[in-house]
Amino acid sequence: MFERLSDTAREAITSSADEAARRGDRRIGTDHLLLGVMHDPAMAGVLGRDLRQARAELADLDLRALKAVGIDVGSFQPPGSTSKPRRSSFSSGARAVIPRALALATGERSRRITTGHLLLALIELAEPDPAAALLAGLGVDTAEVRRCLAA
Amino acid sequence: MEDLSAHLNSADPATGLRAVGALHRLAEQVEAAHVRLAREQGWSWEQIGDALGVSRQSVHAKYGK
Repeated sequence: MFERLSDTAREAITSSADEAARRGDRRIGTDHLLLGVMHDPAMAGVLGRDLRQARAELADLDLRALKAVGIDVGSFQPPGSTSKPRRSSFSSGARAVIPRALALATGERSRRITTGHLLLALIELAEPDPAAALLAGLGVDTAEVRRCLAA
Repeated sequence: MEDLSAHLNSADPATGLRAVGALHRLAEQVEAAHVRLAREQGWSWEQIGDALGVSRQSVHAKYGK
């Protein structure tokens, strides 16, 4: 399955591992896959949001959740980098995205899984999936994204 | 404490579970920053491991060069 990934899609997966490590997460989730896909400027363009905004929104979702359970982290600023990158595994949600993207590629008679196919698979997800929560937080219109990618 | 349990009751699982993830992430970030600082100030991996309640090997594998 992985051998069908285009070069850009492969880079997106690698970037998603970096994004997980950067955040201090042990597994690559669908939210990290979304950030990885956004490393492709074309996909950030389709979403109308950039990486910086997406990372800030994830940090904000965390702060709001902590506050909701009564934890105020005050003025703490994340130092930005955590331990050296490890080989991280995929969450079960993230693992399911690759075969879904492959099915979408096959449906289009495309030999390669592109970042567009990965993004299409990601916007199909529904909350409480982490990527869906991030897209909602960013106010992305997923129907519009689907139209853009179909064009 | 009373305050916290009131908050816990009012939060939905999506928010509560995200808060747990956020705490893990915060712990990783604070740990990384302070392990780096301790190394700069000459702490041994063994001293850092003892402070964190983990083995010297595991802290070295995670942060060593």
